[in-house]
Amino acid sequence: MTVSKIASRAAKGPASAPVDGYAPGEDAPPPVRHVLDRRTFRELSFLLLDLPAGLLGFVYAVVTVSVGAGLSVTVVGLPLLAGGLAGARLLGRLERGRARALLGVRIEEPSPLPGGGGLLPWVWRRLRDPVAWRTVLYAFVRLPWAVAVFAVMLTSSLVLFPLVPYLARALANADRAMVRGLLSPSDELERRIAELESGRGVVVDSAAADLRRIERDLHDGAQARLVALAMGLGLAKEKLLEDPDAAAAMVDEAHGEVKLALKELRDLARGIHPAVLTDRGLDAALSSLASRCTAPVAVTVDLSSRPAQAIEGIAYFTVSELLQNVSKHAGATRVTVDVWRADRRLLIQVVDDGRGGARLDGGTGMAGLAERLGAVDGLFALDSPVGGPTTVTAELPWRERG
Amino acid sequence: MLYAAHGRTRDEWGHGAVEDRVRVVIAEDSVLLREGLTRLLTDRGHEVVAGVGDAEALLKTVAELASGDALPDVVVADVRMPPTHTDEGVRAAVRLRREHPGIGVLVLSQYVEERYATELLAGSSRGVGYLLKDRVAEVREFVDAVVRVARGGTALDPEVVAQLLGRSRKQDVLARLTPREREVLGLMAEGRTNSAIARQLVVSDGAVEKHVSNIFLKLGLSPSDGDHRRVLAVLAYLDS
Repeated sequence: MTVSKIASRAAKGPASAPVDGYAPGEDAPPPVRHVLDRRTFRELSFLLLDLPAGLLGFVYAVVTVSVGAGLSVTVVGLPLLAGGLAGARLLGRLERGRARALLGVRIEEPSPLPGGGGLLPWVWRRLRDPVAWRTVLYAFVRLPWAVAVFAVMLTSSLVLFPLVPYLARALANADRAMVRGLLSPSDELERRIAELESGRGVVVDSAAADLRRIERDLHDGAQARLVALAMGLGLAKEKLLEDPDAAAAMVDEAHGEVKLALKELRDLARGIHPAVLTDRGLDAALSSLASRCTAPVAVTVDLSSRPAQAIEGIAYFTVSELLQNVSKHAGATRVTVDVWRADRRLLIQVVDDGRGGARLDGGTGMAGLAERLGAVDGLFALDSPVGGPTTVTAELPWRERG
Repeated sequence: MLYAAHGRTRDEWGHGAVEDRVRVVIAEDSVLLREGLTRLLTDRGHEVVAGVGDAEALLKTVAELASGDALPDVVVADVRMPPTHTDEGVRAAVRLRREHPGIGVLVLSQYVEERYATELLAGSSRGVGYLLKDRVAEVREFVDAVVRVARGGTALDPEVVAQLLGRSRKQDVLARLTPREREVLGLMAEGRTNSAIARQLVVSDGAVEKHVSNIFLKLGLSPSDGDHRRVLAVLAYLDS
């Protein structure tokens, strides 16, 4: 089963799995044990690595910031500093990895900075990146701390050997706190903003794609037909006197053309927004969609009230696109469309008994659908083994009609 | 004499064009329009040597015809064709004009953009045309345009000319033209000959010639000897 959701959300999955035997949902370390067990051993190795890591991070941070800031009066200064901050993010990732592996800290990666826009916006974004700056701060405070840890561990291992596990636990706890405080993504808000920004981008992109599609449909369809019609009538006009019979045949042909053009315009208008959806809601609109599918479709809509217009529209176009896919690719003999409400979600399920093998990256518009649903906090799940059947489940947030 | 430089009689440039048989290659992805155009041209006694559906096939066909020493007189090409459905028609046209300066190229489009016209006209306005597809409705005028381009003339869509006139930074000079002169300037920029302009405006050739020399005087252009150079001069003036 392929489940697509906004990437940053999905990333939560593996991170929240129990790490190194800790119970999920428990951030505090387990109680101390009196043996030099594996966990203590790992903590010790973390503490031993503190000094080289601290030294490296400190040097990097000092050099980056001082050189970048020192040169900031020149053209290269700020871009250099921005590059240094980009590197600091990398440093942060290494440190998080180390803490995860050896200390069992559950810590998520911060969401990446949005890309694009050229050099200047990039520099500006990098300079304002709170995650990178906190990593730099972390690198600064790590060196004195690492020196202290090294001294304590060295003396204790020589003169206070039995206390080593306790000391290691205490120092590792301090390390954990530091990693959590300075290297974790700032908070839910930071994550949510990034998520919303990418969602807004998808909405804008898909709106632009829709406009392009409409323009293409017009250009290739009704417009071309009307040009041909104008040409035919022009010819007929010329022929009217010299060859009335031929002219009559041409007018006849043009008459057929204009009817086709009308039909194409009607279909296009329906593709932009079907009137029946506005007037009668999903049940009626989906039934009308079903009647145009090449395979017989059973539609069941179980809703006691109508959702917000936007949600209704997305639901309609989701089913429309899925049924088009079924018509084009599946070769199905039976299709069912179910729409129902579960709590605060609107659920859509389309099942066909076609040849299956549909994929999110198969270029059948599935990825676009998943992206669009993601942009409105929805979910898209595709299950399509080769040989069928194909089940597509889409979930949308329920919003009341305002 | 305006037309003597090309060794043509006035009649060949204007009215008598219908009798001239030109050889045409059509590049248009919509089968409906391709067949319509073919019918329109053959109906008027012209020969459609080939009809293709995309720019690549167009270049290939012309190359084949060239190797057989049977170049067409004119290529009629749609701007938007597969595979990218953007401006491959214009690009192919520009290439054809570079490789085979002898062929006339008439570009058709659902929309006309003055930018495309400028690209097409870069260097020379000899044997080039750029028209809205809608113009095929006026069969006689459209076929005239095809023949004009085939014979080395120019056919620019009135909408392109209007865009050029509207965008031109010489508005103060243009304002000094009388309404009739502006009309003549527009028709001149479309690539029409004096006699065609005279027919359109229902005035005598002499009257048109007087307007033209007035326009050239007011714009500070030197009267040039050929229609297509005259178009270029006017366009360059408007574009600068």
